[in-house]
Amino acid sequence: MPVFKAPFNGYSVKFSPFYESRLAVATAQNFGILGNGRIHVLELSPGGPGVTESIAFDTADAVYDVCWSESHDSVLIAAIGDGSVKIYDTALPPPSNPIRSFQEHAREVHSVDYNPTRRDSFVTASWDDTVKLWAMDRPASIRTFKEHAYCVYQAVWNPKHGDVFASASGDCTLRIWDVREPGSTMIIPAHDLEILSCDWNKYDDCVLATCSVDKTIKVWDVRSYRAPLAVLNGHGYAVRKVKFSPHRRNLIASCSYDMSVCLWDYMVEDALVGRYDHHTEFAVGIDMSVLVEGLMASTGWDELVYVWQQGMDPRAS
Amino acid sequence: MEKAIERQRVLLEHLRPSSSSSHSFEGSLSASACLAGDSAAYQRTSLYGDDVVIVAAHRTALCKSKRGNFKDTYPDDLLAPVLRALIEKTNLDPSEVGDIVVGTVLAPGSQRASECRMSAFYAGFPETVAVRTVNRQCSSGLQAVADVAAAIKAGFYDIGIGAGLESMTTNPMAWEGSVNPAVKKFAQAQSCLLPMGVTSENVAHRFGVSRQEQDQAAVDSHRKAAAATAAGKFKDEIIPVQTKLVDPKTGDETPITVSVDDGIRPSTTLATLGKLKPVFKKDGTTTAGNSSQVSDGAGAVLLMKRSVATQKGLPVLGVFRWHVIGQLFRTFAAVGVDPAIMGVGPAVAIPAAVKAAGLELDDIDLFEINEAFASQFLYCRNKLGLDAEKVNVNGGAMAIGHPLGATGARCVATLLHEMKRRGKDCRFGVVSMCIGTGMGAAAVFERGDGVDELRNARKVEAQGYLSKDAR
Repeated sequence: MPVFKAPFNGYSVKFSPFYESRLAVATAQNFGILGNGRIHVLELSPGGPGVTESIAFDTADAVYDVCWSESHDSVLIAAIGDGSVKIYDTALPPPSNPIRSFQEHAREVHSVDYNPTRRDSFVTASWDDTVKLWAMDRPASIRTFKEHAYCVYQAVWNPKHGDVFASASGDCTLRIWDVREPGSTMIIPAHDLEILSCDWNKYDDCVLATCSVDKTIKVWDVRSYRAPLAVLNGHGYAVRKVKFSPHRRNLIASCSYDMSVCLWDYMVEDALVGRYDHHTEFAVGIDMSVLVEGLMASTGWDELVYVWQQGMDPRAS
Repeated sequence: MEKAIERQRVLLEHLRPSSSSSHSFEGSLSASACLAGDSAAYQRTSLYGDDVVIVAAHRTALCKSKRGNFKDTYPDDLLAPVLRALIEKTNLDPSEVGDIVVGTVLAPGSQRASECRMSAFYAGFPETVAVRTVNRQCSSGLQAVADVAAAIKAGFYDIGIGAGLESMTTNPMAWEGSVNPAVKKFAQAQSCLLPMGVTSENVAHRFGVSRQEQDQAAVDSHRKAAAATAAGKFKDEIIPVQTKLVDPKTGDETPITVSVDDGIRPSTTLATLGKLKPVFKKDGTTTAGNSSQVSDGAGAVLLMKRSVATQKGLPVLGVFRWHVIGQLFRTFAAVGVDPAIMGVGPAVAIPAAVKAAGLELDDIDLFEINEAFASQFLYCRNKLGLDAEKVNVNGGAMAIGHPLGATGARCVATLLHEMKRRGKDCRFGVVSMCIGTGMGAAAVFERGDGVDELRNARKVEAQGYLSKDAR
């Protein structure tokens, strides 16, 4: 299984929606606490196992998240620790990049997500308690959503409704927003402790999952949000990222500070269906490929990026 | 900085949330200062095929000049057994050696160089192996090792021997001919002519090292050396020498085999040393008891490229930490000091060599600092704040002896064998000595086989939560 060793600690990994063998990795020096950052664009070798870097971009501060544009196959957007949002074009050489840099967030930008339905805008979530909506061609953000009381860790678009997104925050609430509405449309006090990530079910547009410092993942139906559909226990420490599978409606992948990557089927009694212990430091980034069924990637503070098929050992060569 | 602290706080909250009502968090996690010392340079070291490694290091026993077991031994007969031992113990083909460099101080230059060449023949080296000498006074043995390492690094040859030889019975310290009157105009040049003992008194006086402390250091040296000899610790490094003793009155020759340092006096106490009179200055503190002994002996170190050692299947005893790509690991440092207090040399040379190696003094696990005089040895040890448990653990020159040119090579052999005995916890060692006429030399060695990965845990004084890299 392909493994890539980055010089810095990994933070996030995303498969390209256009090319099944391409992925982007966000990394940061010194565990993202101080120092520079780097975005790697990796290519999986077609024949045998192996992953090579096709291009890399250096940044002055940590890169906490990266996402691919859905409208241009070579464009990716990075969320930087100094509060800037930078747009890179892999078709241009590193000296010509970034092609745009937006400096509006007052604190670290922790996540960036591209709108998969409208394909013209993206949202960023920041530790300055706000979520901002942007378009590639506008010089400034279109709108700022300011309601959370603490760091917003992630903002994710609904896969079916192009105006709806969810945000997960350290103020222990999950908020659903509609960009046409003045404020949030729903506030769900999903956990007792900080919520570090959320993701929508790709097959049921009313279902989403949240994961928290309380070590659990909860699955919610927004139509009856008083109680979760499922509570998934199993991680030993805070759960850092959660992701719904693009291929199987009930499959969730999660990665945690307990250094493991877990797979869950929340409709089943015994929800934990897979566990991977390949990382030797906090596992903080995870993604599942839309183009190749079962292909997943993870990254962690151990500077490694693993790409593997579900069911196989990520460390097998 | 605040940003970094803030980020850390946010991350820490994920692991140990402060507002926790859940009982399972209590006492399970807490932040604490990282006990693993900042290991940046320590961890960065890695093995390269062109490292210069030491595969063997041996010495003869050191014996008192004029009265000891080597008093009737020719100098070339001291060097030959050690050179032969290097070849025999490693099964090396002697013709593969590129050069033999011998540190040697007191003998007339050309004659000693010839004697070394003859020595190589006795040891079985073919005529094709070159021999030369080097003289940087007391550091000559170490300088020889450093020169061979440098030549291997430069690509002149792949295998070399750095050795040291001194017979102070044959060549006592002396000045031939008259002294240039020009020295009167240059105080430091004049200081070069000071007898070594006078420089010791200068150090003792200027830096306040008392007679009591010096005598105690000598007692410790004898005690440790005697314990090491009794425990058989020197058996691996000492090569027995078959020689003879000639009775001065009758001329009868008795064959003997010398394999034990004969200068060590286990019964030395403060009381016995207290009776000795100061030799160099009236009301001084330096006596024969707290000075290094005048001795005869030889030592030799076999160095080669790591790739050659691997090819020959030779286990690596130590690594002469040299140039690692991308970093400056130049770790032989020779520095200059005021000749009148030449004894302070190690206090300047050791930090220079350690820093050039990208390490801290704390990273060094073992020291061999030549005890030319207790005064300067104590000054250096205290000035650098070294842990006495790590310095001269098997005794030093006051007990074992200081054959000037051989000392450097002798210390390398003793250091590497002791590091090997101590196991994987003992990673870096330093050999250092002061040099007459005002210099100091130091070299950093690393153990040859693997190190204990967990060795890192070390107390850190100030916690800045930053790696050295970030500063």
